[in-house]
Amino acid sequence: MRTNKFGIRIAASALAMAVSYGAHAVTDEDIINDHKTPEDIVSYGMGTQGQRYSILEDLNTNNVQYLQPAWAFSFGSEKMRGQESQPLIKDGVMYVTASYSRIYAVDARTGEEIWQYDARLPDGIMPCCDVVNRGAAIYGDKVIFGTLDAKLVALNKDTGKPMWIKKVADYQAGYAITAAPMVIKGKVITGVSGGEFGIVGKVEAYDANTGDLVWTRPTVEGHMGYVYKDGKKIENGISGGKAGVTWPGEMWKNGGAATWLGGTYDPDTDSLFFGTGNPAPWNSHLRPGDNLFSSSRLAIDPDDGSIKWHFQTTPNDGWDYDGVNELISFNYEENGKTVKAAATADRNGFFYVLNRENGDFIRGFPFVDKITWAEGLDPKTGRPIYTEGGRPGNPADMEGGKGEMVLAQPAFLGGKNWMPMAFSQQTGLFYVPSNEWSMDIWNEPVSYKKGAAFLGAGFTIKPANDDYIGVLRAMDPKTGEEVWRYENTAPLWGGVMTTAGGLVFTGTPEGHLKAFDAKTGEELYRFNTGSGVVGTPITWTMDGEQYVSVASGWGGAVPLWGGEVAKVVKDFNQGGMVWTFKLPKDRVASN
Amino acid sequence: MKSLLRILALLLFAQVVMAQEVNDGNELLNRPAERTYDIILDSGYLKVGVYEDFPPYSYQVDGEPRGIDIELGRRIAEEMGVEFKVHWIIPDENLGDDLRNNVWKGHYLAKQRLADVMLRVPYDKTYAYMQDSTGEYINEQVVLFGPYQQETWQIAYNPEKLDAVETVAVFQYNRIGVEIDTLPDFYLTSAFGGRMREQVRHYTNVADAFEAMRKGEVSAVMGMRSEIDHELAKSENAMFEAAGNGFSGIGKQVWDVGMAIKHTHRQLGYALEAIIDRLVKTGEMNELMASQKLRYSVPGYYREFLDEQSIARAEGDL
Repeated sequence: MRTNKFGIRIAASALAMAVSYGAHAVTDEDIINDHKTPEDIVSYGMGTQGQRYSILEDLNTNNVQYLQPAWAFSFGSEKMRGQESQPLIKDGVMYVTASYSRIYAVDARTGEEIWQYDARLPDGIMPCCDVVNRGAAIYGDKVIFGTLDAKLVALNKDTGKPMWIKKVADYQAGYAITAAPMVIKGKVITGVSGGEFGIVGKVEAYDANTGDLVWTRPTVEGHMGYVYKDGKKIENGISGGKAGVTWPGEMWKNGGAATWLGGTYDPDTDSLFFGTGNPAPWNSHLRPGDNLFSSSRLAIDPDDGSIKWHFQTTPNDGWDYDGVNELISFNYEENGKTVKAAATADRNGFFYVLNRENGDFIRGFPFVDKITWAEGLDPKTGRPIYTEGGRPGNPADMEGGKGEMVLAQPAFLGGKNWMPMAFSQQTGLFYVPSNEWSMDIWNEPVSYKKGAAFLGAGFTIKPANDDYIGVLRAMDPKTGEEVWRYENTAPLWGGVMTTAGGLVFTGTPEGHLKAFDAKTGEELYRFNTGSGVVGTPITWTMDGEQYVSVASGWGGAVPLWGGEVAKVVKDFNQGGMVWTFKLPKDRVASN
Repeated sequence: MKSLLRILALLLFAQVVMAQEVNDGNELLNRPAERTYDIILDSGYLKVGVYEDFPPYSYQVDGEPRGIDIELGRRIAEEMGVEFKVHWIIPDENLGDDLRNNVWKGHYLAKQRLADVMLRVPYDKTYAYMQDSTGEYINEQVVLFGPYQQETWQIAYNPEKLDAVETVAVFQYNRIGVEIDTLPDFYLTSAFGGRMREQVRHYTNVADAFEAMRKGEVSAVMGMRSEIDHELAKSENAMFEAAGNGFSGIGKQVWDVGMAIKHTHRQLGYALEAIIDRLVKTGEMNELMASQKLRYSVPGYYREFLDEQSIARAEGDL
């Protein structure tokens, strides 16, 4: 082990080097066909549509009990916090990111490290949203990931040496990157994370080979988008047509709508689907109007960044219901016709099925047990029907007192947060990692910021039930029916994967990787990884055996919040490992 | 290009900052040093936490720390017979975050880095004894003490654009600049049913808002009185004036500003309190402010027990 000036540690494993030198470059076709090629995983989402469905069936409901650990790998150092990554697999090598903007190449057969790269973060950096990283992209001879100081880093996938590093946004202005980028048509597509106020969300495309900016698309109405050709910056239309339509004054200039969770891509309609965060400032009374394109889903043209359509889940959001949750493309049959749909389970507690060709609302229904802020959705438009008195009060209206307390359910951490759900082509069901919690919101009687009096809102998260917060649900997108549910004591914070073997995998903060029967929800397998699982599992096949991997390491947003929920999770230990399991060959026949 | 220069300048400053700051935390255990009063005296220095890039309180000119809180920090260290060391604070979303990151726990990305004492901490009993939903005291890890100044709100305006600012009602018709995500921002965008909302322009800081006023983008700027006084004292802002209006509807018209230490370091607190008490009562605090061309008001804390003559002395009117 040695450290060079780029902060890379290289473990010279002769075997590992041999493995990767024999490797092939990753092409656009490899990425588009990722969901059909179970010997590798070259996209976040196990396919660009984000279904997280594997066609592998060697491992199934009959033999999953024989799944056994193959190896475990430690991310090392004292940075044991929040491992929300989804690993990638290519030619027998695993590429996995870890918290604090670290990435590793690991021999997928043995768990031996091939190389490690630690992004050198600036001193005094204050990322808004914890230190997590959710994964990398892979293209050509490069592996690409985003950092907490809002840069894209492209490394040689065989050596871990930097090939280009691009600043996407200014971390000092409050930007960061925690999501996995994706590569579509030779372009690295990324969004940005941002703090509460003063930032404007955007989606950007960079040339995967050179790192040059290709286009940029702001996600707040009124800001100009640009394409870059031959070194020239060319105007490509204002987002939403013009400024000030759905925002008062010049508040659109700092409208928020951060694209912090990345996106998916649908080759059928040639559209990128990105979600956007809540509008700024937090107090909705200051910004009457819909505040586009906050808390929305956007369909974006991957060639030039133009917005094709949008669907806003929470207009004039006042509850911090980010609209970032992934929009998953899927088809279903109805009246003998194939419907090209896309679905998302929003922070606000509603599950939406949209027409992915034009963004039209098809249907929506609650996927949580209780929603207080809206009575339902308009059956034609999908727009929420607000509950009277369900909106938190205006801190500016109060005179000294605590103000009226409003109970809102779901809590601002959402009916579902960042953790991706999965869609099974076998059962036609979505498997949604969700949480049952509410929040009290009130106006702080006294609040200060940077040496000055301030107006703040106070809030506290409360479990909705005594004995569980997390609920893994199987939801039928055609009927809104909950087919089965699994209740978990702690909030669920890890992603889900499903397979043609009739299995649904996810992890729990208690530390278990779990497998369920996709049809019934019966728990068929559990393994204690030693720390909370908030990563997203993957499965692939190698040397004729089926493997499963998941990152383990408690952290993320849940432990940052106190109150009643803290009592449930305070004893969970942090960690930093990736666990890999396999079904031995001789067990496949046992079904 | 200008923003690029600014970034370069920040990078240069960052180097200097590193040279001044001390990281005396325990690297092995990844926790801050437990610097009690005796240890501070033994070490020969006091680490004073101040906000970064926050004129006129604490900022840098050519890499050299400047501002009223810097001067106060130097004076305190001098009286303790130790060297002054600066601990720069990047403000988080609220005071509670800043106290956690810089006074009692450390930021999770820099756990070994704490200030011995933090300045510019509002001194407010209601805040200090605030309880959370389970009845726990939210700020039990810190002691807030030693109020040294009273701060308030202030508007500066361009007399060429406005005859006067008798009330804020003029900002239904005239543009006003504010620092984004501050109380002036919330106040002007929400008070009186939002009737001034359309006229509010947001800037990164008060200096940028003044630059916009010089360019004619806004007719006035609202900020803290010291911030406004500091800008008005600059020659390029000589044509602007301080307004005399009130701020009806603002809950907190004035507030005391003091210091914070970790609750286990009370002995340090008593020593600092004695020093501050003398600086305030003798009028030295006022002189510090006056030397920076800033108006000074004695904290409300002192108004409760000092007689009129003593207050006048503290405010330099005797």
